Amino acid sequence: MFNIVVCIKQVPMVTELPWDEKTGTLKREAAAGMMNPACKHAIEAALQLRELYGASITVMTMGPPSAEEVLREAIAMGANRGVLICDRLLAGSDTYATSFALGRAVKKEIPDHDLILCGAYTSDSETAQVGPQLAEELNIPAAAYAEHIDISGRTMRVRRLVDNFRETLEMDFPALVTVSMERYKPRYVSFAGLSRSFDGADIRELNAQDLGMMSADLDACGSRTRVRRVFIRKTAKENVRITGAAAVAAAEFLDRYQRSISAVIGRAIEAKKQI
Amino acid sequence: MTKQKSIWVFGDYRNYFQNRVTLQLLSKAVDLAGVIGAEVCAVVVGHNIEEWIMEYTAHGADRILSIDHPSLTSYSTEHYLALMQQLVTQRDPDIILIGATDFGREFAPRLAKRLQTGLSADCVGLDITPEGLLIQTAPSFGGNMLAEIVTEMHRPQMATVRPGIFKEIPHDYERTAIVERLPLPSGLPVPRARVIEYERAVQREHTIENATVIVCGGRGMGNKNNFKRLSELAGLLGGDVGATRPVVYAGWAGHNALVGQAGKHIKPKILFSFGISGAIQHTAGLGEANFIVAVNKNPQATMMKMADVAVTADAGDFLNNLIRELKKRIRD
Amino acid sequence: MQFNPCMKHKLIRASARHFAETELAPIAAEIDQHRIFPRDVIARMRQLNYFGLQVPAHYGGAALDSISAAIVVEELSRVCAAIGLCVTVHNGVAVYPFLQFADDRQKEKYLFRLASGEDIGAFSLTEANAGSDAGSVETTAVRNGGSYILNGTKIFVTNGGVCNIALIFALTSLPDAKLQSSVFIVEDGFEGFLRGELEDLCGMRANPVSSLFFEDCRVPEENLLGKPGDGMKIGLSTLDNGRIGVAAQALGIAQGAMEASVKYARERQQFKKPIASQQTIQNYIADMATETMAARLMLYRACELKDAGAPFGCEASMAKLYCSSVASKVTSLAVQIHGGYGYSKEYDVERYFRDAKVTEIYEGTSEIQRMVIARSILSQPIL
Repeated sequence: MFNIVVCIKQVPMVTELPWDEKTGTLKREAAAGMMNPACKHAIEAALQLRELYGASITVMTMGPPSAEEVLREAIAMGANRGVLICDRLLAGSDTYATSFALGRAVKKEIPDHDLILCGAYTSDSETAQVGPQLAEELNIPAAAYAEHIDISGRTMRVRRLVDNFRETLEMDFPALVTVSMERYKPRYVSFAGLSRSFDGADIRELNAQDLGMMSADLDACGSRTRVRRVFIRKTAKENVRITGAAAVAAAEFLDRYQRSISAVIGRAIEAKKQI
Repeated sequence: MTKQKSIWVFGDYRNYFQNRVTLQLLSKAVDLAGVIGAEVCAVVVGHNIEEWIMEYTAHGADRILSIDHPSLTSYSTEHYLALMQQLVTQRDPDIILIGATDFGREFAPRLAKRLQTGLSADCVGLDITPEGLLIQTAPSFGGNMLAEIVTEMHRPQMATVRPGIFKEIPHDYERTAIVERLPLPSGLPVPRARVIEYERAVQREHTIENATVIVCGGRGMGNKNNFKRLSELAGLLGGDVGATRPVVYAGWAGHNALVGQAGKHIKPKILFSFGISGAIQHTAGLGEANFIVAVNKNPQATMMKMADVAVTADAGDFLNNLIRELKKRIRD
Repeated sequence: MQFNPCMKHKLIRASARHFAETELAPIAAEIDQHRIFPRDVIARMRQLNYFGLQVPAHYGGAALDSISAAIVVEELSRVCAAIGLCVTVHNGVAVYPFLQFADDRQKEKYLFRLASGEDIGAFSLTEANAGSDAGSVETTAVRNGGSYILNGTKIFVTNGGVCNIALIFALTSLPDAKLQSSVFIVEDGFEGFLRGELEDLCGMRANPVSSLFFEDCRVPEENLLGKPGDGMKIGLSTLDNGRIGVAAQALGIAQGAMEASVKYARERQQFKKPIASQQTIQNYIADMATETMAARLMLYRACELKDAGAPFGCEASMAKLYCSSVASKVTSLAVQIHGGYGYSKEYDVERYFRDAKVTEIYEGTSEIQRMVIARSILSQPIL
């Protein structure tokens, strides 16, 4: 059986910035969790590959107990089983520590993995680092930003667009691929799928001890970076307001901005001489 | 004798754009090096790379570490990883900066992992303490939040840096650098990810995604006839027309004009936004539009708050007047 | 009794919300204004089990519990009540009687098609002279060989313009010569089954509400739901269930209007500060939030009773009465908070305001609900 592992993440659902202006802190806990959008593309890629070649899909996530939600959602989309890595010791892990834990869990739970899929990046921290670092942890080849994956026997071809170059890469299994947001548009979750995902779905929970990450070992597996502070970005926009009758406003707008518009479009715009 | 401090910049030169970010990093590295008394070192690996050695010297590198070999002709993450790991292990740099290009963002995480050190991603700011702690400012939550990240206990300190943030130093071909031409080490791994096909992406044909001026219209245009006049303005400005979902649904515009989450992602130099409230489904497609002009009856609309210039007016009225006024003023 | 949503209910809500915000939010105003039934979106909803919410898996449904089903309707209605209406009528009063009263052959024949959404269902009792007084139905079904011949007119049929399967209440004469109502499964394409123009209504305009005409419409005997004369029994049981659906819909409208008001009150500046800082507006928001929450708890309580197999008619009526009244009040306050903008089509609350009203009217008016509730309370023994 062809074994696909999809690593996914629960991120805060933010329709507006989770930022407390008064205390100057992030209100992460105020936001409900959701599956990172890019992870859905990775799951979609796995499902499409399974439809073409047959496969067993394991979804894996590391996070608080509530991260079980994204595993259920992935199972509702069609994944076969889930693995939740959950331990207070792992809270606040950076990408180095996260990829270490995920790597341990992949080796332990799916030792005969063929293909690891990840989303291209997460919507909260946006590092795009866990995928490549997990490949490093597992010592397997990797390709980021895949737009298309073909499989033939134990080899796959990945098409991608990187730095304005179209590339086709060939890799033997096992390998890791991060999936571009440009392709593999994720399917919606069906309610029948959701019912199934709560009806005896196979979800395994692992803690740091299960993964052999004892506290003595923390320097080997612990975070390398520390976030000193988080702050809100000031927008530099001036937000000039123009009001008044439409004819006057149009003339005023052009008086003020025709030079810059002219520079962009490469056509001269000049006010008629007033008589 | 204390070790000579060193800030490395990885020479990413595959195209003009990548080379520019390398030059920008050299410039920043020169600033940072000044604070801690370090040298700036560019690492250039590949084949026929003399051009880049000269270029990086001219833009501020004090030292160049180069490996020139035919087997390095095409970019290979795995080759570069092995070479960098060796160089870093031998020379112990304090800081490594890598451009946050697609390549850099795939390569740097693996290198950091292999070196068992920390890495921040896509930085938009770098600073350094006199003790040499690199303060890395990286975006999160769609660039709305910024985080200050440090790697305290492990070396080297590594960051990928977003292109276009730092200004390159003007080239000075009189500058000199110590150029170390190193042999290709033996025992390089055979890359497991093999490049089968490789071509520069053809310059895409003209689409709304790469238009410099876009005139977008929403429900506030009122009716189809008003909406149609947007193309007249777009014509005058050499731009394209975009639309929101309700407008596409109502048949005022085709689906290929749809801008937003479910449609096209645009990045024009000038965006006109007529009668658009600014629902997230639409604004998610706006990327980093440079200069936004919003026209709306409601001054509190999200789109109006996002704009550089916000005109409080009926979108249709203002459009007609703007077209008339522009026709008077445009000269060819 | 559990007050925190379980993970399943959270995910059901998140999925329905994601769909509604992606697919319905961009078109809700447009389809309302131009009375468009969005067939492409409906087609996507079919694949996701929106038309078989509580149908068992072996008939191709999602087998959801009643709270889950209510959450789905609530989330659709929070964005677009007309589509929430389509879904709740299909599931709550067209599919539900099949689950309760159909024989195996009828289930086999119709449930798959209904659960997949291939066929959209309607339920039609109301006539020109029979609204709250369901006993005054005038449509007749006369037995003729192996068939019934239907004659009459049904009005205000939700989903009427697009339904493929309609449950029709008609009078049949029983062996004892008494006239009793019975329910017939009428399929699109039966000769003599005609539809009227779409109604031009105040709200819920994207729903193809229409009249249905029966002109010597021949319905095979095996399309009788339940037994002859079961009409009243089927009608009452179905309406109990339908009321949960309308309550969910009203709740969704209230929630949508409240969220829009909170957003607007924070953004809108008057006297150089957000109107949310005015105590009057704060009082409005507090009332809207409190009553919406109370409505939700009342609704979920009725759902819980239903799933436990307990009688839930009185609680369904209470939920329907209260949720619809909250929807009317909250949407009216929402327009008030929005001021002049709230009265214009530029803001969604204008649509919510129009959509909310009918939840106090259909599936039993508020007056009828009070009657049902009072009867139930007064008939209980004093302990």
